[in-house]
Amino acid sequence: MTSSIFMHPATMFIIGALLLPLAKKCKVQKIWLVLIPLVAFIQIQYLPESFGKVEWLGFDLQFGRVDKLTMVFLHVFTLMALIGSIFGLHVKESGQHVAAWLYVAGSLGTTLAGDYLTVFIFWELMAFASVFLIWYRKRKRSIEAGYRYLLVHTFGGLVLLGGIFLRYQNVGDLTFELISVDQATLADYLIMIGFMLNAAVPPIHAWLPDAYPEATVTGAVFMCAFTTKTAVYVLARGFAGFETLAIMGAIMTLYGVAYAVIENDARRILAYHIVSQVGYMVCAVGIGTEMAINGASAHAYAHILYKALLFMGIGSVLEMTGRSKLSELGGLYKYMPYTMIFTVIGGISISGFPLTSGFISKSMIIAAAGNNHQLVIMAMLLLAAVGTFLSVGIKLPYYVFFGPRDSGLQPKEAPWNMQVAMGIAAFMCIFLGFYPDYLYDMLPYAVNYHPYNSYHLTETFHLLGFTGLGFYLMVKYLKPHDVSNLDLDWFYRRGADWFMWVARKPVSATNEWVSNIYQNIGLRFTMALARALSWFDWEGIDWALDGSARGVVKGGEQVRQFQTGKLQHYIGAAVALLFIVLIVVVLV
Amino acid sequence: MIVNFLTYLRERPSFLKWLFLAYLAFALIFDFFADRHHAHFWGDHLVGFWAAFGLVGCLAMIVFCKGLSHVWLERDKDHYDK
Repeated sequence: MTSSIFMHPATMFIIGALLLPLAKKCKVQKIWLVLIPLVAFIQIQYLPESFGKVEWLGFDLQFGRVDKLTMVFLHVFTLMALIGSIFGLHVKESGQHVAAWLYVAGSLGTTLAGDYLTVFIFWELMAFASVFLIWYRKRKRSIEAGYRYLLVHTFGGLVLLGGIFLRYQNVGDLTFELISVDQATLADYLIMIGFMLNAAVPPIHAWLPDAYPEATVTGAVFMCAFTTKTAVYVLARGFAGFETLAIMGAIMTLYGVAYAVIENDARRILAYHIVSQVGYMVCAVGIGTEMAINGASAHAYAHILYKALLFMGIGSVLEMTGRSKLSELGGLYKYMPYTMIFTVIGGISISGFPLTSGFISKSMIIAAAGNNHQLVIMAMLLLAAVGTFLSVGIKLPYYVFFGPRDSGLQPKEAPWNMQVAMGIAAFMCIFLGFYPDYLYDMLPYAVNYHPYNSYHLTETFHLLGFTGLGFYLMVKYLKPHDVSNLDLDWFYRRGADWFMWVARKPVSATNEWVSNIYQNIGLRFTMALARALSWFDWEGIDWALDGSARGVVKGGEQVRQFQTGKLQHYIGAAVALLFIVLIVVVLV
Repeated sequence: MIVNFLTYLRERPSFLKWLFLAYLAFALIFDFFADRHHAHFWGDHLVGFWAAFGLVGCLAMIVFCKGLSHVWLERDKDHYDK
């Protein structure tokens, strides 16, 4: 069965990434960048239902498990990899592309995994590969944000791994299937928290608006698509019907959009808006009915395309002008008209205009909440839809491309490859709006929902029109200022400062105090002890040993004086001795 | 061409304003004829309910969020570097 690993789409991206430097050497990098995602996009249609089963250290790993839920996500992930790679064609650094593809591979691997260990392996690959998309921006802020991103995701990964271990201890089985709400234990909730961290559910969401605005232009396009939507997939796979998720998701939609209304940096607005949009999906997963799971999948599909389109539009502006703050932009429609049109298409799609993809997907989740009689949640989702149109549908394009003032910038239109990528994404947004069945046929359950009914249309006309009126009345009050707003990352960013302060001040002071004591008291005591020992050594031990040694030396010295080496002395001494012997003999 | 057209429109703000108001009037009139038997709750039966929801929600959101930002959340962009 090991040969079936090669049909895994992640394998294709990994091998493609490893061979990319070679392709660059042969000057076919651009062809390679389009070829691999295109082949993957076609190849996923031919995947068998189950493949890549491996036994390893007594665990049954399953690298490929394909059903309709998997297929929707695989379809949009590979399509997005293609669009993102085309958008980044002009980037010469192979490293960025390698990181992006390994990241895609991690996402595909997680989506196809049939057991928790495989999920975990690819989960970590995603976190590790994507951090390079931040670091490749090569600014001090990006490096720092990348480290924070990595630390937060490492923490999330550890929580997930802890949950997996506990679950194995409890159940003795690591198959990745739906967990029922009644039987959920601590282990399952730990796994859920690990997944929720990647879905950016508050209060563990702050990594997202912290990191994404600091990523490279192409990196952000990839990042906005994969991490959060993979998390939505695993939540839908394992935790559908958990009421907590429905409530958290509804809160997320409002939390994200509230920050999108007040932020100034365009990519930060979009990043906060991901939190809001993923909230719809998390909420739908929590509702858990067939219609809601359909809605979550459809919204993930549509959202990836229009959010990537918005990130590409704003990314093009950043690439051409070097700026992304609303307070520094304005009047660009004259110089970047195509980028403007594409961004506006993204904006109206995300707001759910009729005949765009947002209309056919978002409304499905809201209707699912209504059908399930969760009216408070439904009202929260609709209020978030109002905020979405306000912040991303109107405010963002208005201040970037039109605006009350002209920024004086005269950038060129974005390069052709960026426009092609934006064109594909924009086409898909409109195409799905006109022909929703293309998406509905892919959904996990049979769809019995028609978005284009007169009531839904009038509801949308009103919500959008009167939100527009609200903007028109308050436009002066919404003027962007060059500030950023505090969020919950304050706890670990200031927390890290306090940790460093504690390390520098109290710990270091205590250390110094202890070493002073040691110097003043300890050292003297040690010296005195050393002197005492040395005295004992000299006087006690050496006296005995050296005394005898000195005796030998002295004796030897005395003997040596006899041995002068002169023959006459010896003869003289021998004669003298003879005399003495004779005298003694004679006298005695 | 697109640029010229947009510039032409931007130079006529009162025309845009009337166009927008005409759209709002159309939306309200359309609401009288909408089919309501898929209604989820009482609000769905009221003509113009979502118009009020949209306007009030939008204004409340702007006032609340901008207010919260001004009194509490707003910091210099290099706040954490200090």
